[in-house]
Parts: sequence; C-alpha cells; structure tokens
Amino acid sequence: MKLSPEMKKIQEKMQPGVITRDGFLGSDRRNLIDILEEDDAEVKRMGLTHQEIANRMLYFKEQGLRGLGEFISVPPHFEVRVDSARGKLPCPFGDPGIFQKTNTTVRNLKLGRELTYTDLHIHMIGSHGFYEGRGFPFRLEPRDIVEVLEIIPANE
Amino acid sequence: MQLLLGIAAISGIATFLAILMMIADATIANYGEVSIKINNEKEIKVKGGKPLLSTLMEEKIFIPSACGGRGSCGMCKVKVLSEAGNYLPTELPWISEEEKKENIRLSCQLKLKKDISIQIPEELFNVKEYRCTVSSLKNLTYDIKEVRLRLVEPNEINFRAGQYIQFEVPEYELTKERVYRAYSIASPPSSKNEIELEIRLVSNGICTTYIFQYLKEGDEIIINGPYGEFYLRESDNEIVFIAGGSGMAPIKSMLLDMAEKKTNRKATYFFGARSLRDLFLLDKMKELEESLPNFRFIPALSEPKPEDNWTGETGLITEVLDRHISNGENIDAYLCGSPGMIDASVRVLTSKGVPENRIFYDKFA
Repeated sequence: MKLSPEMKKIQEKMQPGVITRDGFLGSDRRNLIDILEEDDAEVKRMGLTHQEIANRMLYFKEQGLRGLGEFISVPPHFEVRVDSARGKLPCPFGDPGIFQKTNTTVRNLKLGRELTYTDLHIHMIGSHGFYEGRGFPFRLEPRDIVEVLEIIPANE
Repeated sequence: MQLLLGIAAISGIATFLAILMMIADATIANYGEVSIKINNEKEIKVKGGKPLLSTLMEEKIFIPSACGGRGSCGMCKVKVLSEAGNYLPTELPWISEEEKKENIRLSCQLKLKKDISIQIPEELFNVKEYRCTVSSLKNLTYDIKEVRLRLVEPNEINFRAGQYIQFEVPEYELTKERVYRAYSIASPPSSKNEIELEIRLVSNGICTTYIFQYLKEGDEIIINGPYGEFYLRESDNEIVFIAGGSGMAPIKSMLLDMAEKKTNRKATYFFGARSLRDLFLLDKMKELEESLPNFRFIPALSEPKPEDNWTGETGLITEVLDRHISNGENIDAYLCGSPGMIDASVRVLTSKGVPENRIFYDKFA
C-alpha cells in the first residue's frame, strides 16, 4: 500500500541513525503500512486489540515495579523484573515525551518462556499497533506476547 | 503505469540528490581550521566539519556518551557559550525548555562549522581513554559477572571510589558500530593498574550480551573514564549504603577505600536480593565487617526459597530500612540501583528525617 507523506516521514525516522542507532525496522523491507497491517491482522485473528495487549504488558510492568529492581513472583506462575538502562528513547511516531529505557522481563514459569520489553514497546503497541520490523532484534511478535503473557480475548 | 514510473523517477532523483549532498558535505565541504575554546581558558585548533563530540574525543577530551554519538542516549550535553546555529530535530527530544535557554546542545549532533566556545565540567579533563586486557572473568551469580581489566596504555587510572567508566563494545553480531556503556568501578582507587567491574546481564542488551557471550580472558578492550559525582562526602555522619544487584559495585569500592583508610565512621550496608542465589560477595562483606569495626552488612531477601534456609532479614529493602532506621537526622545515604528501588528508598529515608541534600545516588537511568 502507498504511504501517505506523514507515514513516509515516520518511516524515515525509523531508519538506522535517525532517532536511534539501529532504527526500528531491522532488515524489514516492507513499507510501514504493510508492517502495521500485517500485525493488525494477526492481532485480530487472535481476537484481540493492540490496546488489550499493551494493557497486559503494562499490568506486568506495574507488578514488576514492586520488586524494586529484582524479580518478583506474580500469580499464578509468572516472575517479573523491571530494571533500567541509562538513556531514553523518543517515539518515532512523533508523540510528545521520551521513554526511559526501562526493561520489563516476564518469565512464564508454566511455559518456560521469557519476554523482555521496554516502555516504548508498550506505547508503540498500544498507541500505534507497531511491534517493530521483522528481523530487528527488538521486534516483539504479537503471538509471542499473547502466549507468554497469557492474554485471553475479552469475549472468551 | 506512467504515473507510477513518474513517482519512482522523482523519488529516485530526490534520493540521489540527498545522497550526493551528504557525500559532498562529508568530502568536498571544507570548513578549514576552527577553534574550540573550553571554559574560557583552553583553546584548541581542530579540523572543522565533524561533530563536536568526536572532535573532542580525537583531542582526548571525553564527554560521557552511552551510544557512541548517535543521538540516542542524550548524555553528551555541553553548554555552548557562543552562537552555534539552530537546534537539529535529532537534538530536540533530549533538550528541555530550560536547557534551551542555557544553550545546552547535544555534542554528538552539533557539527563544527565555525569557531565555538563551550563549557564543560573541569573533572572531564581527568577523563582518559585506556587500552586494557581482560585479566579475569568470573560469575558472581547466574546473571552477574565480575570482569577484571588490566590497564595497558596508560597503565594507571586515578578515580574516586563510586565513579564509573565507559566500556567500548566493538562491532559484533548485535551492533554494526562501536557502542559505549557505563559501569561502576568495584575495586578501590588504590588499585590503579587493574580495575574490577560487576555487570548484570540485560536481556538483549548490546553490551552485556557481548560481555557474557563473547568476551574472553586476554581480550583487548578500550574503556574511558572516570566519570560521575557519586563518591563519599567528607562528614562525621553515620553512613547508610543501599544497593541491589550490580549496584553492589560502587559501594564495594567505597567500602574497600574506607577499610584502606581505616575510617571509623559508623556504616550500615543494606543489600536487597530476591533469594539466596542472588546474593554474592558475602565473604568479602564479612571481611569488611572485620576490618571496619563500625561497619555492618545487612542482606535482605524479598522472596527466599524454603531450601535457602534463610534466617536473615526478609522483605523488600524499603521494609528493612523502615525497621532499622528510626532517626535519620545524622545520616548520609548512598544508593545505587534501579530507579524504582532508589525512588522508593529515598521516600523511606526522607520520612525518617534524612535530609534530602545528604542523600546521594547513582540511578541506572
């Protein structure tokens, strides 16, 4: 699909070295609209919305904050740690504010799987349905998030 | 079809021209020699055209930067005393309105096109680049590694206990360019030829992945430093240290320094961990308790496992602080760890009467 001038600008900001060293797209050569639409379709197939996914991510972050930098048990079978790296990241969609490099790591002990995400991930997923480009080390696959965080559609 | 071809042609020409301008700026544009006046004292002549940060680095003046000059950490701010042109869009996310009034700029984004006058903290003149070899690597816990670096050139570093260095990660699988990350020095200032770092693994972290998966004993690496305002202040007040995880490093450096100087100040170190497997350096802390008569180490576990058979303090570090501190009026507090831990601890300390100007911390933020 053709990019609007606005989306074109955003995609330019996502290139390596513009607002972050590695950008947000990795080796993904699709245009931004296609990336957003494919992930949107995947999320809809799972019966969810991006906001529901972001809300669950935020829930675990808030639970993890109670651990004051150490892992903390979150019922029924999760462990969560929230820690920070030095530095901040701006949103490539141009939203105001910058996001602390805060990592939330969620371990699903039942599945033996782990997921790490930043505050910027939560924002980009909730506000823009953006999970970053394929092949990018920091991309989050919607299905992985849904499985590890055990997100159940509201109508189930 | 014709329309599509037209759009493609225009886009192609625009891209070509943009690339041409970038190449011309990098190769043909000649800004000649420009002068950098530093703190209205020192003046250096340099070749113009490059960013201020890298130009200063070539002159062996190091401004702290965690991203290696790509405008993604916002750390390399300097105050510009002369006119330096408009802010670039890449600077704006990092600069507050107050900083704009002060003409604070991101030195990695500010290109040197004419003479400039800047102000930087005096202590940055003590910052140097060091070539080191990795003398040993040791796992302290399942996710914290001790890294010892022998300094080769120069072979001595002078720093204050509590300060940090920047570790240069070379190009490897996760990064196409060098990046820098800040780590506190865990060894005492008396150890001038070899420094020790305690580094916690960060999931997907560019630097920690390199250190945990690629770095080997004998490897040559580059660091620069020292940096930071986190050091022990002269005072007769009782000291409370608070840390968790790799926040142990600067506190250990301070304690070793105190032991060498035979300091008699009363000091208590509250260290938070989740379970026994997250605790480390217990023997070293016991040794320090023996060499510092007024020092006490209080580890606390927030979620001890039954098999830990833990009989020590339990609960979050803030709960332990709350139980142990009654009157904080004559306390100096030094904290190192995650922003969440520091913010929560500062709230407890101030509620106990510890004056805010006597609370010093190194936030991982």
